[in-house]
Amino acid sequence: MTPPVRIALLACGAEYSGVMPEIYEAARQVEAEVFYPDVTLADVRSAGRGFGLDVHSADLKLMIARAEALVEGRAEADAVFIATCFRCAEAAIVRNELRRYIHEGSRLPVVSYSFTERTTAGTLLTRMEALVTIARRRALLARERQEGITLGLDSGSSTTKAIIMKDNEVIGTGWRPTTQVQQSAEEVIALALEESGLRRSEIEATGVTGYGRFLLGNAIGADLIQEELTVNSKGAVYLADRQHGFATVIDIGGMDNKAITVQDGIPGVFTMGGICAGASGRFLEMTAKRLGIDITELGPLAMKGMGRNVPMNSYCIVFGTQSLVNALAAGNSPEDVAAAACHSVAEQVYEQQLQEVDIREPVIMVGGTSLISGLVHAMGELLQTGVVVPRHSQFIGAVGSALLASGFIRKG
Amino acid sequence: MAKVFIYPGTSLILSDLVSRFGHRPLGSALSVREKVQTAGLDSPPLQITSEDPKKGLRFAAVEVPSGVRGRMSLFGPQIEEADAGIIIQDADLAFGCMGCARTNELVRFLLHRRGIPILELTYPHSDEEGVRFVAAIREFLSSLAGGASA
Amino acid sequence: MTGKAGAGGGPARPGVQPGTATKYVFVDSPELTAADLALRGYELAPGVQIKETCFGLMITGPEAEIERLVEELRLLDPDRIFVKDRGFPPGDERRCRANLGGARPGFYGHEHEMRLVRYISSGLRALRDPKKADLLRAKPKHHDEPLSVERLNTIIQES
Repeated sequence: MTPPVRIALLACGAEYSGVMPEIYEAARQVEAEVFYPDVTLADVRSAGRGFGLDVHSADLKLMIARAEALVEGRAEADAVFIATCFRCAEAAIVRNELRRYIHEGSRLPVVSYSFTERTTAGTLLTRMEALVTIARRRALLARERQEGITLGLDSGSSTTKAIIMKDNEVIGTGWRPTTQVQQSAEEVIALALEESGLRRSEIEATGVTGYGRFLLGNAIGADLIQEELTVNSKGAVYLADRQHGFATVIDIGGMDNKAITVQDGIPGVFTMGGICAGASGRFLEMTAKRLGIDITELGPLAMKGMGRNVPMNSYCIVFGTQSLVNALAAGNSPEDVAAAACHSVAEQVYEQQLQEVDIREPVIMVGGTSLISGLVHAMGELLQTGVVVPRHSQFIGAVGSALLASGFIRKG
Repeated sequence: MAKVFIYPGTSLILSDLVSRFGHRPLGSALSVREKVQTAGLDSPPLQITSEDPKKGLRFAAVEVPSGVRGRMSLFGPQIEEADAGIIIQDADLAFGCMGCARTNELVRFLLHRRGIPILELTYPHSDEEGVRFVAAIREFLSSLAGGASA
Repeated sequence: MTGKAGAGGGPARPGVQPGTATKYVFVDSPELTAADLALRGYELAPGVQIKETCFGLMITGPEAEIERLVEELRLLDPDRIFVKDRGFPPGDERRCRANLGGARPGFYGHEHEMRLVRYISSGLRALRDPKKADLLRAKPKHHDEPLSVERLNTIIQES
């Protein structure tokens, strides 16, 4: 039996928020083991001085001491999970600084999360799964070329995508809004097969990612069922041809957003979530609908407008929609409103999530929203850098799955 | 016998002295024991569930982090029940139940607000300070109703 | 909730039933070890569960019996034995070091205070020492009031 992946837990407040069972359960589901790195009282006493962050809360001092033990090699782990209470300023500072410190001082994958008493194992699962994948499947993630004929599926919350690849080329694509997980998948597979001119029996291996991955993957007997954090970062650096060195992958999805700092194709630090759909593609869909245009027209329209002319804050999708309605009623042009909506979504992602990762250039935007040029432009402005949007970026999860699935082709 | 809230709630020294001088120390162990001994709870390690931070809303508002409210669900009822309190001011190395500075500020505030007798001191770091420390605690405790003399 | 260990269900373990208690009995003495304490404990209360730990013992059993045992054990070295309640019974998998991979948070707090208990021992001895009467009346250190300007002036003038 493979030994479980050992995830070092650096946490403050988890035991008192009632979320420890949820952390244990998420780890159990991905066959990982959560543990506290062992330190001494002397380590804790010197932690503030050594690390240079003199906090008040003793449990945060303990977190710092445990992180130092990991970076200095006094405690061994395969991955690190940092978790503190949502809305605690002192803990947020420690969480961010430790995440950066571990990322810079070790090769351990890190994910940080701020929980409330409502956090469930389901919420934590994808993050834990990604940590385990990175720790356990480095060899799989080292793949840089697609081989043979493979099918990649991304069963997302808004859309389902399929990609067929042959000898390192995309030869078939399929895209449909998600209705029923399996039915939508069958539709996109048919579309991709048609475009590629292949029969289903010619597919040598299949990889599945996205929200519906377990249901779909088990139903079709996929060779690889993998969370979207590792798959998308792999797909992004592959499509953008940045497989070596650092990169940052941003994927603004229909339900939640992902921001990943990647090194040599392997995620180092990542965050996932978002407070409200106001910071997701869903808000842009609503904006397009309100403007009476197709979502594909929103980006070019926004590029013609000036977002600064319109006050808009989509921190909450309800308030965001209200400011959208108000802006139109006040006589602002559709161009300016479209630009403001793009800017607002980019700003929410920037404020809520990009602060949790280290932005390393190049910045690669992927997912369906990366086709909205106004959003990409707004993100580039906020980050003060050019943003790379590779070809097929809207199929990112499916491309990553197809690429990684070639590791499962049985050589006859 | 008076009920004396000890701060830090995890203190061996205060717990010992309060019971040695005939009173009942209220601290972390008693609230945790109550959780551990409640049948049907299944939320390791402390048997604190997502319901406890909600109970903590009695002592701290909803925008206060869940870890503070969860801890307050342990300490809040004890503070309300206490006849007196002893506070060690420099308890910087108390972890777990006492590991959150924000909770600790609130605990000390609520103790003072109760208007019950409070003794505040610092940890002793010499024999002489130890003598004063113990004497002050004994004197304080003997002034409370129902104490036994040591 | 989705936990793996619960107080409910399964065979009854000592210390998890209402009416039972676990206490730490710590000792900081050159003349008395945890093993001595344990031995005396077994003699005094054969039905009580006793476990040696880093700084002394953990004893678990019916509350009244634990109280009685604590009083008896204290007599071995009253000024250097310190007692405290514990929420969990010994070896509880929810709090056990073996399952957590590292020390539980309370351990560090004990380690911190166990370095200071010798001063408490001095304090307890002094309660019986008539020569320490002056010290006993002196106020302990407070940190809540800064030195007043008048007091500072007096100190400067006196020195």
